[in-house]
Amino acid sequence: MNDILKMVIVLGLICSVAGLALAAVYNVTKEPIEYQQIKFIKEPSVKAVLSGYENDPIKDRFALPAGKDKKGRDVFQTVFPAKKGGQVVALALDGSGKGFNGDIEVMVGLEPSGKLTGISVMKHAETPGIGSKVTEPKFTDQFKKLTVDNPTAVDGVSGATYSTKGVLAAVTEAVSYFKNNKQQILAQAGK
Amino acid sequence: MGLAKEFTKGLWQELPPFRLVLGLCPTLAVTTAAENGIGMGLATTFVLTCSNILVSLLRNIIPGKVRIAAFIVIIASFVVTVELLMQAYFYPLYQVLGIFIPLIVVNCIILGRAEAFASKRSLLPSIMDGLGIGLGFTMSLGFLGAAREILGGGTVFGLSVFWSSFEPMAFLLKPPGAFVCLGLILGLINIVSRR
Repeated sequence: MNDILKMVIVLGLICSVAGLALAAVYNVTKEPIEYQQIKFIKEPSVKAVLSGYENDPIKDRFALPAGKDKKGRDVFQTVFPAKKGGQVVALALDGSGKGFNGDIEVMVGLEPSGKLTGISVMKHAETPGIGSKVTEPKFTDQFKKLTVDNPTAVDGVSGATYSTKGVLAAVTEAVSYFKNNKQQILAQAGK
Repeated sequence: MGLAKEFTKGLWQELPPFRLVLGLCPTLAVTTAAENGIGMGLATTFVLTCSNILVSLLRNIIPGKVRIAAFIVIIASFVVTVELLMQAYFYPLYQVLGIFIPLIVVNCIILGRAEAFASKRSLLPSIMDGLGIGLGFTMSLGFLGAAREILGGGTVFGLSVFWSSFEPMAFLLKPPGAFVCLGLILGLINIVSRR
């Protein structure tokens, strides 16, 4: 009996100290991690889809509510506004879609008029050399001529149907959020 | 055995991936470039040394029957710490190493050193053991990574090392190439150590 009690106490103590220490590390690293993710994943894509702006879209970013996920938690849509002379010239929104291998995250650039300024794939795990072709300019540049009314009217990558569909789903997600919440987004971006 | 010997045995006598042939999962998976191998090695060294210190300090408190569970909790905590720190301050490296950072938990070198060494020795030898084995692991991964990067990609640390018409053997960067490279190095080491 004594043995068991000792084991329980020692193991319990070790686990609680470990838990406390990890909570502390998590709290300290939370902000740097968020910053790094935006810097290394989102910033290059935001810069690729927006042009001719004078502000810092990363600094001016804001989040709007976007419903709830399956577990009932609030989901937010981050918007990166590009401004010139105080006027909003374009916005960047991210979306994600299911590809051949995991989610594909895409940044979509939009003008307030509804014209797409371009897309850039931020994160994917598609097959190198096949599905990964959806990240190449040959595919992504097609979106530049499109508008929010037909954002998926592009030629797919042959041999990479699922990857193409994933990108299109991601673009559709971002575009439809923009269409449904246009007033709200533009009001917030103009501030 | 002196403290210095505890340190140097990890560099040749008990060189983890090549002499003990332990910890092969990260050895094969992340060594596509010298930089990745060294990054992985340093992360492992940190976890190994920290867990050796704690295990050695707690060796008289932890009851024998639950020692493995206690070791795993200690190791896992340090691994999560490394993962968070790497995400916060070395994000590009974290993107490359990805899933293999959390997998350090099940790296048998670390549990092996905790069980076979740190749980029976005092603090100083345990620290030297952790640093020595960790450094040996880092060197091995760096060496294997450099070999694969040079022959498979024609670069080392991102710098080109060959003439422009050199055609790199790209298969060495794929998983089978890792086995081929590891096998050749193991063979070489066996030849050298037999003499």
